Amino acid sequence: MRPPKEEELQSGNLTAMIDVVFQLIIFFVCTTNMQNTIDDRINLAIAPHGVPVTKKDPREIKIDVDKKGNISIQRTYISADLLRSIVKKSIAEYGADVPIVVRGDIDTRHTAIQNAMNACTDAGIYKIKFSVLKEKGK
Amino acid sequence: MARKRRKNSLQAGELNLTAMIDVAFQLLSFFVMTMKPTDVLAMIDVSRPAPDKRVSQSKPLNIIWITVLGDGRFILNDRPISKENLDTTLCQLGVLDTTQTVIIACTPNSTHGKLIDVLDLCQKAKLSSLSVVSVD
Repeated sequence: MRPPKEEELQSGNLTAMIDVVFQLIIFFVCTTNMQNTIDDRINLAIAPHGVPVTKKDPREIKIDVDKKGNISIQRTYISADLLRSIVKKSIAEYGADVPIVVRGDIDTRHTAIQNAMNACTDAGIYKIKFSVLKEKGK
Repeated sequence: MARKRRKNSLQAGELNLTAMIDVAFQLLSFFVMTMKPTDVLAMIDVSRPAPDKRVSQSKPLNIIWITVLGDGRFILNDRPISKENLDTTLCQLGVLDTTQTVIIACTPNSTHGKLIDVLDLCQKAKLSSLSVVSVD
């Protein structure tokens, strides 16, 4: 076997470093959830006995109701009338068992939650899920 | 004059791992510092009455009626009750019949957190038939 030349030894072998860097990048890219649609401004109430979320239904409509009573879907503020139209459209497209999840702030007055729920019941949905925190991340 | 031969720090077959370890530790510390612990989410299923159906004034005897007031107090079938006593009562109900219908009536000024408190107590008691109504 040919002994390595002096230039080869001085340049250093970067292959292992590049391997590790790429592996770390691939790992973090794969494990990062890029679709951060959850509104952090809403402080959910803690319910330790709530049913944990095991699987997601792609048809699910998440309705956020903030502390001031504003209704939003995917960070876009909407009126109760528009919410009603959205729910109606979803029912027409996916059926009457479209899961509706209401994410209300812990300090939101019931009137605001009532507006969101009434929009759903007007559209024909009588089963509603409340999103809660089972365990807060430490 | 004899020429002094420079000695290489690296020998053939050796690998300099310093740079690799540096980068690996930097990436590791970056991700550890920027990592945000995730909250564990849960759901509580409730039913809503049809909008045209008004809340009747006469409450059926076989239905548990819990009212959440604006000041955070709870009323169980027309009698004020503390959260601890409500917990005990609901647990006793859950032992008898988990299909017992529980209607939670919220006043307009009551907070959503208080409603979730009641719903959580119902979940704890394994009561599954929960309805939320709005009262004035």
